[in-house]
Amino acid sequence: MLNRRALVAGLAFGLATGASPFGTFAQEKLPVVASFSVLGDFVRQIGGDRVSVTTLVGPDGDAHVYSPTPADAKAMAAARLVVVNGLHFEGWLPRLVKSSGTKATVAEATKGITPLEADDDHDEKGKGGHAHAHGHDDPHAWQSIANAKIYVANIRDALSAADPVGKASYEANAKAYLAELDKLEGEVKAAIARIPAERRKAITTHDAFGYFVKAYGIAFIAPQGVSTEAEASAKDVARIIRQVKAQKVPAVFLENVTNPRLAEQIARESGAKVGGRLYSDALSAESGPAGTYIRMMKHNISEIEKALTAGPA
Amino acid sequence: MLYDLLIGPFAEFDFMRRALVGVAALSVSGAPIGVFLMLRRMSLTGDAMAHAILPGAALGYLVAGFSLPAMTVGGLAAGFAVALAAGAVARATVLKEDASLAAFYLISLALGVTIVSLRGSAIDLLHVLFGNVLALDDQVLILLAGVATVSLLSLAALYRPLVLECVDPGFLRSVSRSGGVVHLTFLALVVLNLVAGFHALGTLLAVGMMMLPAAAARFWTADITRLLLLAAGFGMVSGYAGLVLSYAAGSSLPAGPSIILAAGAIYIGSLLLGSQDGLARRLLPRVHLQR
Amino acid sequence: MSAIRLTDLTLGYDRHPAVHHLSGEIATGSLTAIVGPNGAGKSTLLKGIAGALAPLSGGVALAKGKRLAYLPQSADLDRSFPIHVYDLVAMGLWNRAGIFGRIGAGAAHKIEHAIAAVGLTGFERRPIGTLSGGQMQRALFARLLLQDADVILLDEPFTAIDARTTADLLELVRRWQGESRTVVAVLHDIETVRQAFPQTLLLAREAVAWGETAAVLTPENLLKARRMVEAFDSHAAPCQRDAA
Repeated sequence: MLNRRALVAGLAFGLATGASPFGTFAQEKLPVVASFSVLGDFVRQIGGDRVSVTTLVGPDGDAHVYSPTPADAKAMAAARLVVVNGLHFEGWLPRLVKSSGTKATVAEATKGITPLEADDDHDEKGKGGHAHAHGHDDPHAWQSIANAKIYVANIRDALSAADPVGKASYEANAKAYLAELDKLEGEVKAAIARIPAERRKAITTHDAFGYFVKAYGIAFIAPQGVSTEAEASAKDVARIIRQVKAQKVPAVFLENVTNPRLAEQIARESGAKVGGRLYSDALSAESGPAGTYIRMMKHNISEIEKALTAGPA
Repeated sequence: MLYDLLIGPFAEFDFMRRALVGVAALSVSGAPIGVFLMLRRMSLTGDAMAHAILPGAALGYLVAGFSLPAMTVGGLAAGFAVALAAGAVARATVLKEDASLAAFYLISLALGVTIVSLRGSAIDLLHVLFGNVLALDDQVLILLAGVATVSLLSLAALYRPLVLECVDPGFLRSVSRSGGVVHLTFLALVVLNLVAGFHALGTLLAVGMMMLPAAAARFWTADITRLLLLAAGFGMVSGYAGLVLSYAAGSSLPAGPSIILAAGAIYIGSLLLGSQDGLARRLLPRVHLQR
Repeated sequence: MSAIRLTDLTLGYDRHPAVHHLSGEIATGSLTAIVGPNGAGKSTLLKGIAGALAPLSGGVALAKGKRLAYLPQSADLDRSFPIHVYDLVAMGLWNRAGIFGRIGAGAAHKIEHAIAAVGLTGFERRPIGTLSGGQMQRALFARLLLQDADVILLDEPFTAIDARTTADLLELVRRWQGESRTVVAVLHDIETVRQAFPQTLLLAREAVAWGETAAVLTPENLLKARRMVEAFDSHAAPCQRDAA
């Protein structure tokens, strides 16, 4: 009697947790599609073993000009959850969602974030229109760790909604990860503090660090607009060179998806130092210096500190 | 005041001086080649070539990563292969120049896209490959100067058979065997100038500086020598004017397109006012002569 | 001494013969006309002699060291190309200076002389696109003059040209014969042939008659030539004669 009840209870419990008394059938992972590498990393950190993540725009990829492949549509169709950045970062995504016919829920990681306007986070802007694909908001919200925490929270909630059984697991993972992000934030702020105040400025080719600038007090000046398509005018370049010379901006940074030559020319002519590669729109490959979000931020701040504290202005 | 506008920017900024030198070098060698392309009805070759070099650049990227020299050399090789294959097919078979070039560049482009996709990365290779007129370092300037020199010397040496090949290829064939060699050498020069131009200045500038001044010059003279000189001259003026415009304009005018717009303005002006069949001459004819 | 020797020559397109098993010789310094009905293979024969068309069988032999000049029926010329009459005529000198060589100081004089010989003095600076048919033909003749060739092939040189120009150019041709040059010309006008050309080949894919003009251009021969069928036979069997 007791045995039989135990057996039934065991069976029920087994079925509830996905284990079978007849041997194991593999626990089915939740198929998730993340639009680009930073989101992919977050989903993996929070989802752990319960999820199987496909990232569309991979390491070193450029989400601004990405062209989805048939393989992407397939992954999309098989997914139960799609995590996107939002703020018009992925212009190509709505069409892909539609054409793949997916029944997945689409979750915006930036829900609840106060977006920055792409135009007003630099002091010396006087430019007219950029050839801007995004609209008015700067989509690179993950550059501020405070925002990254909101991303994590949103993703945790989305995963829990898609897979209620794993809710506890997701919450635990998220809590642990948020703690790591706290630590990261502390490190970043400390690094910035170590840079003398008058040297906290740099030039970079891609205007994707708006949130970083606002959160941590470094000024980034860009010769081009936010998207990779905009072209520089002689006037802009002249202005930046004058500015670098006048304000004694110490360094120029190259970004991993756009053409570095312009930044090099500006550095050469203005006397600024060329800093290391900064990662903004995508992670590097696993084996590279910025394979996860945390490693990316650590790499960036380390390069920034190195370039801004070294050498003469 | 005028100094500030016309000379000042170039005195003050190194990048402006370099841009001027770069565009001048491109005009000097590109414009004569553009004239011959135009006369041979091959004006769209430049655009086709911009796509045709992709597999070469892709292979260069596969081998050496984001190494600009590797990708440029690869692009050059692919460009030569396409141009020479198209030229040879046009000479030896019933297919004409335009069809054979179209066929080969499309194949080449598809190959290039496939190679890039195999690598699995969504990088816009061509975007990285193409340079910017405001970012000409010493290496690139030397490249442009070298290409200009080689082109001018070759054009000088090949001048007669090249002209003959355009005007009366049948006659050339009857008096000399050099027709094929000259034709293919000319195509090689085209590819060289285009790829160097892409590398240094981007597609728009490289092709635009080749074709627009040539087209404009055609409205002012019917003598081949003057055509060549005038085209080079128009090119240099466009470069200078475009740079000044991009520097001084109220709202931000990107440099490359400004130069091409300047060249375009010269073209439209020539179309309207040119002494050789310009529209104004047609609409307001002068009194005819006695004899 | 023959300037040109044809040995069982067959020339054609897509395996159909346009010139069929032609043998014979053209003597140095002779003036030969080639006549025949439409599609008789006359232009094809000239192309074969000039080396522009490879034989289907048999061969063409040019006397050693002889320079050849060829004026095709409709020149492959781009009239819209921006050069002047002077430059067009000057091309005749290029193959002797070598394509890359220098043209000597006496060249300008020779060019002017050639232009005068064809009656185009005053046209030196005219773009070639503005010339009439007759003027263009004369310019091409001037270029031919400068080529100073030993063997000259002319394909229908006087078609669509006025009588005065024809007479002038015929004078030039006669002068060439006087200079011991060999001239072969395809012509349509039988009268011109009778007047000016001592030798004639009456061609209707095969040689109907070849020799002295008076003997060749008889009514019987002309009738025979006219009976040649113009179109290629799409059901033709392979030619048996080569098997011998």
